[in-house]
Amino acid sequence: MSLVAERPGPGAARPYRFPEVVRRDGVVAAHLPGQALAIAILLLDAGAGREPAGREGLAAVVAKALEEGTTRRDSAAYALALESLGAELFTSADWDSFRVGVQAPVDRLPEALALLAEATRTPRLDPADVARVRDDEATALRMDWADPGPRAEAALRADLFGRDQRHGRPLHGDPDSVAAISVDDVVGYHRTWFGQPGTLVVAGDLTSVDLDALGATVFAGAGGPVEGAGGPLPIEPRSSRRVVIVDRPGSVQSTLRLGHAAPHRAHPDHVPMTLAATVLGGAFTSRLNHLIREVRGYTYGIRGEFGQSKRFGRLLVSSGVQTAVTVPALVDTVGEVSRTAAEGVTEEELAVARSWRAGQLSVELQTPGAIAGALATLVVHDLPDDYHATLRAALLAADEATVSGAAARHLNPAGLTLVVEGDAAVIRDELVASGLGDVVDARP
Amino acid sequence: MSPTGYPWPIETARLDNGLRVVVSEDRTAPVAAVNIWYDVGSRHEPDGQTGFAHLFEHLMFEGSEHVAKTEHMRFIQGAGGSLNATTNPDRTNYFETVPSEHLELALWLEADRMGGLVPALTQETLDNQREVVKNERRQRYDNVPYGDAWLRLLPLLYPPGHPYHHATIGSMDDLNAADLPTFAAFHTRYYAPNNAVLSVVGDVVAADVFALAEKYFGGLPSRPDIPPAPDGTRPAPPTGPVREDVVGEVPAPRLYLAQRTHPFGTPEYDAVTVLATILGNGRGSRLYQRLADGARLAQPDFVSAYGVDLAHAPAPLIVSATARDGVSAADLEVGLVEVLDGLGDVGPEEIDRAKALLATAWWRQVSTVAGRADVLSRYATQFGDPARAGDRLPAWQAVTPEAVARAAAELSPEARVTLTYLPEEKNA
Repeated sequence: MSLVAERPGPGAARPYRFPEVVRRDGVVAAHLPGQALAIAILLLDAGAGREPAGREGLAAVVAKALEEGTTRRDSAAYALALESLGAELFTSADWDSFRVGVQAPVDRLPEALALLAEATRTPRLDPADVARVRDDEATALRMDWADPGPRAEAALRADLFGRDQRHGRPLHGDPDSVAAISVDDVVGYHRTWFGQPGTLVVAGDLTSVDLDALGATVFAGAGGPVEGAGGPLPIEPRSSRRVVIVDRPGSVQSTLRLGHAAPHRAHPDHVPMTLAATVLGGAFTSRLNHLIREVRGYTYGIRGEFGQSKRFGRLLVSSGVQTAVTVPALVDTVGEVSRTAAEGVTEEELAVARSWRAGQLSVELQTPGAIAGALATLVVHDLPDDYHATLRAALLAADEATVSGAAARHLNPAGLTLVVEGDAAVIRDELVASGLGDVVDARP
Repeated sequence: MSPTGYPWPIETARLDNGLRVVVSEDRTAPVAAVNIWYDVGSRHEPDGQTGFAHLFEHLMFEGSEHVAKTEHMRFIQGAGGSLNATTNPDRTNYFETVPSEHLELALWLEADRMGGLVPALTQETLDNQREVVKNERRQRYDNVPYGDAWLRLLPLLYPPGHPYHHATIGSMDDLNAADLPTFAAFHTRYYAPNNAVLSVVGDVVAADVFALAEKYFGGLPSRPDIPPAPDGTRPAPPTGPVREDVVGEVPAPRLYLAQRTHPFGTPEYDAVTVLATILGNGRGSRLYQRLADGARLAQPDFVSAYGVDLAHAPAPLIVSATARDGVSAADLEVGLVEVLDGLGDVGPEEIDRAKALLATAWWRQVSTVAGRADVLSRYATQFGDPARAGDRLPAWQAVTPEAVARAAAELSPEARVTLTYLPEEKNA
């Protein structure tokens, strides 16, 4: 047997170029030669941040209701028309935006986009259909909430931001908030937020695509833009930890969600924060995954990252560990967050994090879907066309002192909330004895 | 419609030790995907060694002769790359996508663990990864409502001794019982160059890749005596309907109706693929229109029908629905069976809809270099020629109404497996 012993070095790098960003009235596009599929997404400032209190999940119900027939055709005819083009409507709501999109062979894109516009601008919203969709969505959420995770996530949000804040409640609502949505809520939300023009993002082989015509299709009949949602919300750092138990009797794992409030997306420390979190828990080689999975064998995986939207952000560490090692896994996790805050990162770890994040820009941004997502980031966060090129340079230039400084400023191990969804009867006493923080039960 | 589903160049070579190398150039982006299929999966596992192929996949990331523990991940991620691996009944695949200047690193790492894993295997690594796999089982199968459906369906679909009878995640008892030499022997038996296909797609020159493959893999010996998996191509025919009821912590009644069809890659299975799309894919599908929207028996987000693309025995078709509030499992089953039994009247517009959706799904799969590399490895491994990857999409498009009708007629109640999940009765 003969293997080559020496690890080869890299060859000559060929630079990655983000495709040229084409901007027309309300349209942001990228040309991707040779791609068989093209994608178009209409972005509306109608995300979860716009939902009224007690009606969390309303945007998702509106999304489902869009496909229940239009003023021109019923739902079955609509589905057949769209799917016969090889397209399906996809919708999503995050904190800052509502997205409705289609992906189709490029020659079918104009027809698919016309159907997207028809559903988005002129849905039928028949009261009986809306009520049924709302009931189905509440049932679907109950299904999701039977899985481990959603209840822990809700408990963490409530503790970090407070239930009186929209972002202190679940992004997609809970079964009760969705059940409380009325037909008028849905019709009203659509009237208030779906008349704005929005921005159309297009990615694909644009050789034979008429962007102006696509824009005309989705902006026809639209009203004026909506007022901005407001600036970043203040953060109040905490100085004590707390442990929140979400009971899941009989669970063979404890689902862990740890976090604290952190800066919003446009914070100047965004890049060094991203890199610090990458070293802590953002990659397979991270400190958390190495210790908790590879050394201890407590878990199938653990991740840590900053989640950031326009008005707020947080640190989030997620994992599932076997019940018997719940406390040791938490102690180790808090230990790694503390070590990273206190000692910063090493140049060796940072080198991996930098080149991984920079390299991922080339590796991930290949498909029309990925490029469209990147264009949407430009739109939602008002970023310049050269953002991705600049981001790459900023990632590669971040030095150890800068990243360690960001870790010290933005990791707050002493103020962490530790949510544990597991078998309370088995783990409660040990959690109390651990001294990790005051132990409380999640509000049902 | 494109006459081929693979309009990119394909070049192939075979090293003297039997390693097949497939290269497909695409200089659009400066990235290269590397993908290796080893022709070993859980179908090769004998009684008492279930879960070995999958645990082995984990061990392959824990270091090899010239790569220390943790270095594999660190080198790839440090190069800006993504990496992973998967195991299924048919095969084990390993893959990474890297900025193209790091292609040589990826090939070196793959060669080192193909040829030099055994010297690096330690008891500590085995024990640790065994725990990780147990955690994977808890997280994916045991701690999730309905999570064990696949584990339950396989033994109902395939008789004892059939290579698909047991699930890839395997038995924890088997994993606990195995010692280090048994695992070393598993590697020695199956991880040979003549049992693998290496595909490289993206910003590369084919001749360079062949030279690098020779440099890094050329010195590895081929193994003449790799034992084949048991032949599962002709399982004993089903002797009648099979049922299993599971009462557990589930939020609503759910049904899985499953049966064996034909192996992936056959024209008959292409018809099953089109039929499954007609049945369960999209809001225009029969299950959505008739069960979720029409009869209002099923939850719209949880109806599905799909074939599991296994190539070495008749592959399963799985149809599933979850009851709406207040609907019993029995009523849901009557409705679901009615839809299945009524597939004799599929119309041309339903077939066209299915083909359009399948075309989009195909092009999405091959829109990344990694997706393309996996497809090439599959067709080289399972059908002896990577260029046959281009045939699948045209084969779907060529499925006739008669073929769909035949596939529908084969969904016989006599061959059906019915798995029902029922919520526990709660005493208030």
